[in-house]
Amino acid sequence: MKKYLFLMITLLLSFQLFAHGPTPQKVQESLVINAPADKVWTMVKDFCNIHNWHPAVEKTTCEKKGEDTFRTLVLKSGETVYEKLRGVDDDLMKLKFEIVKSPNPFTDFNSYLIVTKGSTDNESTVQWTARFYRLYKLNPPIPEGQDDATAKAAAQAIVDSGLKGLKKTLEAN
Amino acid sequence: MYKFFIVIVIVILALGALFTMNSPPNKAFITNQGEDTVSIINLDTFQVEKRIKVGKKPLGITILKNKSIALVGNVESQDLSVIDLKKNVVIKTLALKATPLGLTHNKDETEIYVTDWFNSQIFVINSMNFEIIKKIPVGKTPSGIAFNEKYSFIVISNRDSNSVEIYTEKEMRLEKKIMVGKHPYGISTEGDYIYTANVYDDSITVINLTNWQTKEIKVGDHPYNVIKINDQLFVTNSLDDNISIIDTKTFTEILKIPTGETPENLWVDKKNNRLVISNWGSDSISIINLHDMKNIKEVKSGLQSRAFGDFILN
Repeated sequence: MKKYLFLMITLLLSFQLFAHGPTPQKVQESLVINAPADKVWTMVKDFCNIHNWHPAVEKTTCEKKGEDTFRTLVLKSGETVYEKLRGVDDDLMKLKFEIVKSPNPFTDFNSYLIVTKGSTDNESTVQWTARFYRLYKLNPPIPEGQDDATAKAAAQAIVDSGLKGLKKTLEAN
Repeated sequence: MYKFFIVIVIVILALGALFTMNSPPNKAFITNQGEDTVSIINLDTFQVEKRIKVGKKPLGITILKNKSIALVGNVESQDLSVIDLKKNVVIKTLALKATPLGLTHNKDETEIYVTDWFNSQIFVINSMNFEIIKKIPVGKTPSGIAFNEKYSFIVISNRDSNSVEIYTEKEMRLEKKIMVGKHPYGISTEGDYIYTANVYDDSITVINLTNWQTKEIKVGDHPYNVIKINDQLFVTNSLDDNISIIDTKTFTEILKIPTGETPENLWVDKKNNRLVISNWGSDSISIINLHDMKNIKEVKSGLQSRAFGDFILN
């Protein structure tokens, strides 16, 4: 028993040593929204009110730590996600944030949304890009549920449902 | 006499123009990690001339011009692809049983050096027969690697040890270990200096090889790599979609230039005096004119363009 305990502790410690693997995963999706870019950007950059458009989010609570802004999302599943705002660029219409803590099967999740003007004044495109790594930080064999495919599926679901929710909310107004 | 002189000048100019036109184009070899390929991009015409299938999840690259080969490190298939630069085909795959991250070579192109991310070691490989000459244990998760021609040093950045290690070419003896900023990833070296991009510190570290002094300079969000061209340093700020330009006389930032999304690595196109940057986020390369620091062109390369290393055949 002692031997196993030692092994487990060693394993746990070795996980801590590595930040992430060498191959970032990528999810990048775009959606055309029938609404003016200014209006879309106003909603996208409103970091503390993502529950207004993301269908998975029930509630958002924001807090300031020095210069930095963080938000806690309470999901409809009851789980919570803790995120850090990494930048709001009004010229590029680009919002950047990072998932600091979540129950998702990925790690080091950095993400950005870019709003661009469409072909008419009443049209815009939103692109959402996520860069992240699988949970398992060491060499293969990779345990089930900690692999690239699992990480990617989870991120894909967040991005896809979010973009659809954003479109639905903005076009309903 | 005067006329004769004019004729001579015209002949020289014409020959010069002819020479410039006929000199072969420089090419960029971009590893596209999302599609397991290397794109070969003509830097005169901006055309992707060929896409070569390599191993799984290619990342690092080094070009041995005189041997007319390029080596690509495939992190998932754990091997190296050797590309013949005359035919642009993979002529050999070297199994490493390791995770090749950074690649470089010595000045006379006799040896290739590769960092092995998970096993915290570096490989020394003979470029003639591709046999592994030596494995040297180093700090945690060695990432970037570069060769200093002035001192004949091999320098590496150990991402999870926050350190730089300097090895001698001849004996592969550890000359010095120096602490830098948090998560050093890209590294480059020239003359009396080494530069590292510290991803978690939003900074670069400058190491002076004459006195081992270091200096940290703040840059943008998540810097990935840094190179020196003339009297300036160019740093990719991967999460800011731009590069920082730093004056090496004052070590202050003088300008930021926008790039594609998530810029990672950069190298110089010497013939055209341009900077080429790989953009992971927009699957492209950005080309910047070094005369006026303006963007000339963004060229689609392939999914998740990374090209970690000296990716231009100059």
